[in-house]
Amino acid sequence: MGRLVVLFCVAVTLAALAWLYPPAFREANRQARANARLDIIDRELGGGNSVLPAQAIAIEARGRIPENGTFAVAVGPPQPGWSSLTIPPTVENYMRYFLLPRKLYPDAPWILCFACDRGAYPGAQTVWEDSPHQLAILRRPP
Amino acid sequence: MTLRALSGLAALNLAYAFVGLALLWGFGALRTWNAVARLVGLAYLVGLAAFGVLWTTLLVAGVPFDGIAIVVSLVALAVVGAAVARFRGMTIRRGPRHGPATWTVLVAAAGIALAGLFLESLFRSARIQSLQAYDAWAFWVPKGKAIYFFHGLDEHVFTTTPNSMYPPLQPIVDATAFHAMGGPDAATLHVQFWFLIVGAVGAVVGLLHRHVPAWLLWPPVLLVLVVPRFSVLMLAPLADVLVDLLVVVAALLVALWLRDAAGWRLAAAAVLLAGAVNTKREGIVFAACVLAAAFVASRLRSWRPLALTSLAVALAVVPWRIWTARHEISSGAPTSFGTDRLGGALRLSFDVLYSNARWSVLPVVATIALGAAAVWGDRRLASYVGVLGLLLFAGGVWSTVGFPELTISADESGNPIVRYTGSLIFLAAVVTPLLLASVWRGGEEP
Repeated sequence: MGRLVVLFCVAVTLAALAWLYPPAFREANRQARANARLDIIDRELGGGNSVLPAQAIAIEARGRIPENGTFAVAVGPPQPGWSSLTIPPTVENYMRYFLLPRKLYPDAPWILCFACDRGAYPGAQTVWEDSPHQLAILRRPP
Repeated sequence: MTLRALSGLAALNLAYAFVGLALLWGFGALRTWNAVARLVGLAYLVGLAAFGVLWTTLLVAGVPFDGIAIVVSLVALAVVGAAVARFRGMTIRRGPRHGPATWTVLVAAAGIALAGLFLESLFRSARIQSLQAYDAWAFWVPKGKAIYFFHGLDEHVFTTTPNSMYPPLQPIVDATAFHAMGGPDAATLHVQFWFLIVGAVGAVVGLLHRHVPAWLLWPPVLLVLVVPRFSVLMLAPLADVLVDLLVVVAALLVALWLRDAAGWRLAAAAVLLAGAVNTKREGIVFAACVLAAAFVASRLRSWRPLALTSLAVALAVVPWRIWTARHEISSGAPTSFGTDRLGGALRLSFDVLYSNARWSVLPVVATIALGAAAVWGDRRLASYVGVLGLLLFAGGVWSTVGFPELTISADESGNPIVRYTGSLIFLAAVVTPLLLASVWRGGEEP
């Protein structure tokens, strides 16, 4: 009887394997092809594509803020075209990841502005702007 | 992704395997060259876990983390293992040269071919995969980047990222991979997780090879790779897969130790569990479950080595606890023990565990195998696996009950119960062959 149970278990497992292996193999290959199709910016940003209204703010911030610099993130009210993930904690977490070794500090000289209230940063200069998406990089005077 | 990055990663992971082989030699596991070949997958996990535990301690002590320090620590671990082996007079002999039956070779070859084909497709996906998983970019990879850029546990990053109480073994592995790749390349980092999966498959197959016939071994091992909830999702740079693999391979070592009382198995399990407790908070729960189940299933005279193993694992928790206490970071332990959520949490854990859509038939087959082993097979093994399974299940229920902020839902954004249950599924896949083999042999040990 015990051996019959063993044979039953092996048969069920093999049937499940025969059912699942081909689609899993196809999915892994489909995923590999999809990954290969990504351009370098899409691949570099990864999850940021779902968080940021536009890729440019991440790339511009990385180019403009020195590696030993610090930055803050200011997110205003949601704008048309923004995803549900464009909210303060998610944007902060993502920019912290993407911009390291630059560090995230609330009083940093560089401000990544997502439709933010620019009046809250008197004297800050706009060093880059994407008006359609309400994005900007501000620089507070030293 | 460049050839240089991939070559660096390959060299690093080979180094983990060499370190692990030296440690296993020191533990007395490698008596023959056959054993060396058979246990190289286990050695890889042991080497990686030992390296991670060592660097958790060194980082807490303030030792700078850079390329030279990585190489020195790997060499030091290997030298310690080899020195212990020489001191104990361990030699590696040529093993007996009797081959298995032809049909066993054919089944094993089919298993290796199917696993190899699938792993190859995962590799092609991993080498150019963008970093998508929320937890990966929200805190796991930033912590790894911080160790890479700032050569240690940067206070600002480690205290301000979400889940700051999580221990640093996974970020250490990530930072080491960045050094090996020549830069913090988050896309190629997925290949490090591919190596983990390959190493774990090798470890399980190598450990079970002499205890289980190939036709019982390969079906569950292949199935767990392709069930919908794992498959390509295993490549995400999260600590969940690492902690599961370390705990489950340790649990398998303990299961085999219950049979043959070989001390090296407990030593290797201690290293893996020490790695697990430094990988994720639930690693502590998992390790406690494995050791508690081992106490229940073992004879009283075996309790001393188990107690020493438990002590070693408990000591491994201390450095990170010192760091979190020094920085006033809460342990993140459950805050509520009310019974009002117990019914819902039980139902949720049960539904997730027996979810055919996520894990296919693995939990059902493992449950049948467990029952059959209790009746017709190795009852001690069945009691160990049964107690371990129940404790792990109870741990999942406890986490949903103990954190009132978690929703009673399988939605992964509100409750990590699906990820938690992954450990039970990996366990099901590796113990099912052992349970079924014991039933097939009528309870007699091989």
